[in-house]
Amino acid sequence: MDESLQLAVHKELAESGVLDEDWSVLVIAACEDAGMVEDVLGGSAAPAPPLEEAAELRPKGAYLGPLTVQGFRGIGDEVTVDLQPGPGLTLVVGRNGSGKSSFAEALEVLFTGDSKRWATRTKVWKEGWRNLHHARAAQVQAHVFIDGRPSPTVAKRQWADEAALEESTATVKAPSKSPAGLEALEWTEALTAYRPFLSYNELGSMLEGGPSQLYDALAPILGLEDISLAQKALAVARQSRENLRKQAKNDLLPLLEKLRETSEGTNDERARACLDALGEGQAWDLEVLESQLVGGPKDPGAGQQISILQQIATLVAPNPAQIKDASTSLRNAVANVEAVAGTETERASETASILEEVLAFHAAHGDGDCPVCGSADALGAGWRTRSEAQLGELRQAAQAADRAHEELRSAITVARDLIHAPPAALPWCDEVGLDGAPAAQAWGEWAKGKGLQNAPALAAHLEDTAPALCSAVEELKKRAADEAERLQDAWRPVALELTEWLGEAREAERARANVPLIASAEKWLKKAENKFRTERFGPIRDQVIELWKLLRQQSNVRLEDVTLTGSATRRAVDVAITIDGADGSALGVMSQGELHALALSLFLPRATLPQSPFRFLVIDDPVQSMDPSRVDGLARVLEKVARDRQVIVFTHDDRLPEAVRRLNIPATVLGVTRRENSVIEIRTSQDPVTRSLKDARSLAATQELPANVARRVVPGFCRAALEAAFIRMIRTRRLAKGIAHADVEDAINESTTLTTLAALALFDDKGRGGDVMTHFNNKYGGWAWDVFMRCKEGPHQGFGGNLHDLVNGTENLARKLLVT
Amino acid sequence: MKLLTWEGESTAGLWPRAAALLGRQALETSLRRLWTLKAPGVEECSWQAQLLVLPAFLGDEQLAEDAAHAWSALTRATHHHAYELPPTQEELARWLSDVQRTIHKVDTLTN
Repeated sequence: MDESLQLAVHKELAESGVLDEDWSVLVIAACEDAGMVEDVLGGSAAPAPPLEEAAELRPKGAYLGPLTVQGFRGIGDEVTVDLQPGPGLTLVVGRNGSGKSSFAEALEVLFTGDSKRWATRTKVWKEGWRNLHHARAAQVQAHVFIDGRPSPTVAKRQWADEAALEESTATVKAPSKSPAGLEALEWTEALTAYRPFLSYNELGSMLEGGPSQLYDALAPILGLEDISLAQKALAVARQSRENLRKQAKNDLLPLLEKLRETSEGTNDERARACLDALGEGQAWDLEVLESQLVGGPKDPGAGQQISILQQIATLVAPNPAQIKDASTSLRNAVANVEAVAGTETERASETASILEEVLAFHAAHGDGDCPVCGSADALGAGWRTRSEAQLGELRQAAQAADRAHEELRSAITVARDLIHAPPAALPWCDEVGLDGAPAAQAWGEWAKGKGLQNAPALAAHLEDTAPALCSAVEELKKRAADEAERLQDAWRPVALELTEWLGEAREAERARANVPLIASAEKWLKKAENKFRTERFGPIRDQVIELWKLLRQQSNVRLEDVTLTGSATRRAVDVAITIDGADGSALGVMSQGELHALALSLFLPRATLPQSPFRFLVIDDPVQSMDPSRVDGLARVLEKVARDRQVIVFTHDDRLPEAVRRLNIPATVLGVTRRENSVIEIRTSQDPVTRSLKDARSLAATQELPANVARRVVPGFCRAALEAAFIRMIRTRRLAKGIAHADVEDAINESTTLTTLAALALFDDKGRGGDVMTHFNNKYGGWAWDVFMRCKEGPHQGFGGNLHDLVNGTENLARKLLVT
Repeated sequence: MKLLTWEGESTAGLWPRAAALLGRQALETSLRRLWTLKAPGVEECSWQAQLLVLPAFLGDEQLAEDAAHAWSALTRATHHHAYELPPTQEELARWLSDVQRTIHKVDTLTN
């Protein structure tokens, strides 16, 4: 997007107070390009803010100078139309077939490589472009006076012998540069936007083409195409995101079908949960989906069924070998305890305890009587030695008894530790469709043994209940494992596909989150475009209405408004009119002549916009189908445009020149006549110099005019003739030097006296008025200075001499001035 | 000065030509007055010549140009031309207003 438009968008964003909205950055990005939109959405880049003040580019204006054509259409031998660069109206008048339209076409073909009016013609017609009477190669050449170029640029298009219309080569030779292609003029875009060639056919077809074609012809001048591009970039970004979602949705359909099958076939609750999470008419719950896909015990609720089955399949049942060991140990321990019960060993333990205490008593109190039986002096050294030996023996016997008891206790503990309460997973069997009853019952029986204290009973319990339990649990485990395997076999492929789809869906959801942002940016941009369009078209619209007022003349159709509306396929130019005050819908009710006048009203402003590089405008046959007496309006319009534009009009009849003469509109009229063999002659039948001279001469010849009036008025017309000659000299000189056109016109307008104009024309320095006399005397002789002074002073003081001589002298001087 | 009463009436088919004729006559009368007082003798010249001379005496070149245009337009309107339609009321009103402004200017110059 060009910088000035980018800046305008930025300003509008700021002024409408939406710069803080998160989508505004998308608008700025879209103004850059489509890639930037993606970068911003992807977070990988941010658009650079536009430069503070984009420099407004004033195009270098161009006027046309002499146009030379040979071997083209109606023109045979080389002929030159001596166009004067600079603002003003030039009429090229010739009968139909005189070749004057060939000049208009030649100009158009020179710069555009094609002519609109030929575009729809047949091949045969197109092939007839080459002049029959001309043996040499066809060629069109024009001098172009461009701002800032020290001398005219020459644009030339040539055709080799036998070449087709399209097979030409165009070159541009700018001063002090080597010849280049036509593109060196940098007019390619401007030729479309500000098309300076208006032909009768083209104007007609513009309106016949319908409102959208009219829109396309007018819209480029607003310079808003880039906004459409930006809108397109956003739309593409939005659609690609919406498509991701659509794609994900489409891809989900077969998956849903599979989920349904799985759910029904295996009664897998994961499939049901996924169906619930992805059901139609609701937002996808991708979190639930994911938990189902990766689910396990760590995610309670997710995949519970399979988890239960897996827990049941891995139940730990009592080990039959362990049970056998435990019951054997129990029975052995019981036997050992029974073996020592009631034997010496038991008594020995008690006796040893008593002896230990008495020995401790003796150690504390020394020798003495027996504390139990009272036998005197029973406790002594001898007794101690014997007792200590007896205690060792007694202790050994007691230990055997202790060990038997200890072993029994530990055997009971081991046996009881084998008995657990039923595992937590066992009651869930119902939930996963397994018959857990036998196992649960067996386990219940088994668990009852936990409280048994009696070792033989415990051993009997183990031996009695264990086999039933083991077989029931093993059976259950096997069935659970089988069921789990069956579920997994059905689920795994679906889960795999769902996992793949989950990635796609997540991407789609992420992308979808941006859609409202993009849509907001789009909406705003569209509004901004409409605003810009109205703003920029406003001045043009005013001109169109103004021109129509001048052109409509006889018509009772009033042009109320012209607007550009819609976009894309609904783009249109709305022409609102009223007919005798009643609303009408434009094109349908207008006559051919009115339509043509309307087209001219629409396209003259386009061709004369300040941003156009073309200071010239070529109109071919604007008078056709115009009401014979209503050419005055056109003449007025052309006069208006010609004030600051070079307007070249080709016309086939005398109505326009007649109106121009009658309305006193300054114009140069060139007559074109065609002789045998396409020899074209062009003579100047009128220009501002000759017109003033003609008026002067006719007044001088008016016998009835009082002498005192004639003495004042005739020199006035002579003076006007000299002024016109000087202005032409100034323009040619200055424009050829590349001085900006506006500056040239300013210099002319600022030269208020004949002397300053003369100085500017002769010396390119308006301060050198004092040198004019010497110059005239030296170059032409004393008469020239006399004529000059009489023209200068006559209108004020009156001129007493021979008026015919003055007019002749003026004509002579003007001719000589213009030859140099 | 009777012109104004003619402007609004569009009933009869003849009115545009009649109004044009009266408008032109009013302009010519006014110019004759101008010449008699300011440049005696000019009234003897052709109307084309008189209109060429007018800018030098009216003191308003644009108005002189408008007057010349109005005169030639009114003249065309008073004659029946083949293939030519009478002027619209709006056109006629504009020419007549130019005539009026000219007459007014002449009045200020000659009174």
